[in-house]
Amino acid sequence: METAVKIGFSFVGILIMLLLPPYLEGMARRVRARIQYRRGPPLMQTWYDLQKLFKLPSVRPTKSIMFTWAPYLALASALSAALLLPYGNVIPVNFGFNLVVFFYVILMVSVFLILAGLSVQNAFSHLGSAREMQIVLTVEPLIAILYGVLAYNAGSLSIAKIFGNLHPTASLVMTYALLAYALYVESGFLPFDIAEAEQEVIGGPLTEYSGRLLGVFYYAIYIKRFALLWFFVSLLTLPWVGPITTTIKAAEVFALQFFLTIAFYPIIAALEATNARLRIDHVVKMNTRAFYAGLIILAIAFAGW
Amino acid sequence: MLLEYALWAFIIGGLVGFVIDYKASTKASSLLAAVGAAILLGQVYQVYTTGPITGSVFGIPVHMDGLSAVFLFIVGIVSLGSAIFSISYMDHHRKRGKGWVYAIAYNTFIASMTLVVTVDSLEYFVVAWELMTLSSFILIFWKEERKDLDASLKYYLTMHFADTIPLFMLLGLASVLTGSIHNLSYQAIQNALISASTSTKLLFYALTLSVFISKAGVVPLHFWLPDAHPAAPSNVSALLSGIMIKTAVYGLLRFDWQMIGHNVNLGYLVAILGAATLTIGTLYALRETNSKRLLAYHSVGQMGYIWLGIGIGMALIPHGGTLAALGALGMFAGIFHAVNHAIFKGSLFLEAGAVEYATGTINLNELGGLGPRMRVTALATLFSSLAIAGIPPFNGFISKWLIYVAGYQSKDFILAVGAVLAVVISAVTLASFMKFYGAQFGGETRKYSDVREVPGAMQLGEWILAGLTLLIGVFPGLFVKFLNGAVGTINRGFIASVPQNVYRIGFGSVLFSPLLFIILMGVLVFGLYISFRPEYGKESIPWDCGTTAFDPDEYRVDAYGYYIKFEEKVGSFYLLMDWFYMIGRGIVQYTVRGYMWVASYFVKIVDTPYTVVKSVRDLRSRQVLYIDEEFFKPFIRFCNIAKIALPGIRLGKFIAIAVIIVGIIVGLIIVL
Repeated sequence: METAVKIGFSFVGILIMLLLPPYLEGMARRVRARIQYRRGPPLMQTWYDLQKLFKLPSVRPTKSIMFTWAPYLALASALSAALLLPYGNVIPVNFGFNLVVFFYVILMVSVFLILAGLSVQNAFSHLGSAREMQIVLTVEPLIAILYGVLAYNAGSLSIAKIFGNLHPTASLVMTYALLAYALYVESGFLPFDIAEAEQEVIGGPLTEYSGRLLGVFYYAIYIKRFALLWFFVSLLTLPWVGPITTTIKAAEVFALQFFLTIAFYPIIAALEATNARLRIDHVVKMNTRAFYAGLIILAIAFAGW
Repeated sequence: MLLEYALWAFIIGGLVGFVIDYKASTKASSLLAAVGAAILLGQVYQVYTTGPITGSVFGIPVHMDGLSAVFLFIVGIVSLGSAIFSISYMDHHRKRGKGWVYAIAYNTFIASMTLVVTVDSLEYFVVAWELMTLSSFILIFWKEERKDLDASLKYYLTMHFADTIPLFMLLGLASVLTGSIHNLSYQAIQNALISASTSTKLLFYALTLSVFISKAGVVPLHFWLPDAHPAAPSNVSALLSGIMIKTAVYGLLRFDWQMIGHNVNLGYLVAILGAATLTIGTLYALRETNSKRLLAYHSVGQMGYIWLGIGIGMALIPHGGTLAALGALGMFAGIFHAVNHAIFKGSLFLEAGAVEYATGTINLNELGGLGPRMRVTALATLFSSLAIAGIPPFNGFISKWLIYVAGYQSKDFILAVGAVLAVVISAVTLASFMKFYGAQFGGETRKYSDVREVPGAMQLGEWILAGLTLLIGVFPGLFVKFLNGAVGTINRGFIASVPQNVYRIGFGSVLFSPLLFIILMGVLVFGLYISFRPEYGKESIPWDCGTTAFDPDEYRVDAYGYYIKFEEKVGSFYLLMDWFYMIGRGIVQYTVRGYMWVASYFVKIVDTPYTVVKSVRDLRSRQVLYIDEEFFKPFIRFCNIAKIALPGIRLGKFIAIAVIIVGIIVGLIIVL
């Protein structure tokens, strides 16, 4: 494919990753409201919130440099991860198109969130950071299993190779279910939003953040959720559509990814609206069990099914 | 040879301890150690550019090939950082005096480790190894505090039973193999092993593995490590964790792979031990709240990664084909991780020492709020913490990632599960180091408001190592040829097919460009910062729900409470491991009891007669008399009495001489 098309796809991809995530959140709020028999805010509401936050100055509770830089580092990590995803068949910035790199770059959003929470002298922030870390601690084993099944199934950790070589097996179906669960937990949607938990630990690591810095952090979290969902959608579609040779087909795949991403968000919102927040020990317990189930899936995969 | 000059620097560094007072002697000896370490790095560069060097230093046969060069680099770089750090750090221990002991032991320790990785003959290897154990024991017990006694003795006894005895048996075995005690060069042993019987080879494996497993702190012989490493001063802990345990990896590759030949089963053994070690060491580290003990447990854990990588290599290389290529990648990654671990763990111990220097404590529950006070140390700790947690683009990520690639793509269930554990434990490492960093440098406390940054030499020492974590992470390509030199040396020229490219590192189609990544991150971070420049309105104290009677210093989560829910949920793991620990302790206890039973025939308690000796503690706390002492005691008593009585007897000089001469004659007659 010629360079112009690549640049075009990348440009659209970048536009989507920058503009779409707050819209998706707005959509989720609407769906949640409807399920709870409310009218709900307009789709643009999350954008309006972000705009307002960007206009406001921040309150400064500490002299720590990390406090100031962490939001920007988190946003940059989220954007880097989103830039590593396939839009159609174009990866805007390919600095390492493989599973481990992608998940580690996504993980960096959490790392900077945790560091931000720890940089202030506030028990609620610390508690939130520790909770966020514990969620990562229990989700990472599930992702480790995922690496194992996909690498065995496709023979490589490279995502391009996985798209090309994946073949359907029973273990792969189970892995998709496990992946959906792991990504849902990692995104911190409602039963798992334990780290932030406004009513409980007043926002966790974000407790001391306000104004523009808070806006940057929220933006980073929305983009992270978008990137994880887009990754899931890509893994769901790209291995099965066959080799993408023409621009038209690439555009079709891109459109499919886009609409599936939008289609998945109401489901997520419905799950959010119908679930109450879990306690951290519940999540740890659930994820530990999921890990044991994952080990069985890995064994099944190695048995050839 | 440059090596000779380096050893001279260490010798002079040890000797200056005698001539001057504490402060001057510690500073001068540390400086000379730094000079020696720098010369070692020069020697490494020479080997890297000109190829293997053979020769002799002070009559000791020396052979430096690719493998030696990598480990000599570890010795040189960590010693350099630690020695520069020590120039100011040792002032912290001024009250203890004994600068000369430190000067000699510290320089001997580095010199012995240098010899361990360069000598070309088993007898000198054993001598250097024992010297290393002895000097490290002296350094571990250098503070001479009662609480460190058990840790030091545990270390020394473990090393005696698991290292010294097998090594001397190995000397015997090797001399039988080669036919002469005077011909124990590595090449001669290698030649003799080719025609050796299977049982001889098994004995060789058993002896060497006992030595290297115990020294590396690999499960199940890791129990000494988390006690011994924190007991030493921090600059020495950096050497212990950074270099000393790596010499075991050198030995494993040199003896059990290059010398005896390739063996798939050994590979599985090493990989399984590695996977077990990384899991157990790191999960124990997670609940630790003493910063140096936490780091020591992580040394166990990270050693597991190194063994896993090398084990994958050993298990796959003999298969040939694509599997061998993956195996070479695993071995490459394992050796790379050894280098990386030396750098970031050395750095972390130095920073723990800097915090100890500034605040006087290493208890994570007490520390806090040092970030704004010690900015330089805080940033160095952050770099090293992210490196050990494997966050891109730091060096720890690159080597861990290559281990994952080798493990996952091996299509072998055992190795893949090892890789799964490695990824899981990587998250645990991250958690542990978020705690390590956050508990020390996060927040702002009044308690430590007058703490000041440590002196420049200490900052420099920290940053030599902390800077390298980022540098190697961004330009791993520069190290590919160097590390492949080691892989090639022990695999008859077979090397890992890692691109020797500044922009990309990886294997096959699994690639990562750290340079592109850091440029992208840099552009994004600074671009975002400039476009949404933070705007601060007012300053305020953190929101504390409006309480009034509350100590703001206590308004935090202390290190103990960070992951308590997680630890509770994986509690059955700890229970299981504690059960194993109990079994191990039981074995030791019954061995000791058996020993005591034998010993009770040879020893008598003096101060309260008729006491039965039950435990070692009885021997330590009471005044005892050994059988040989008992035998000589009457004679000693006689001499003591004579010493008091004799001056009372006034004899002429002539008579005294006559009595002595008569005594001699009588004695001679009796003898003849």
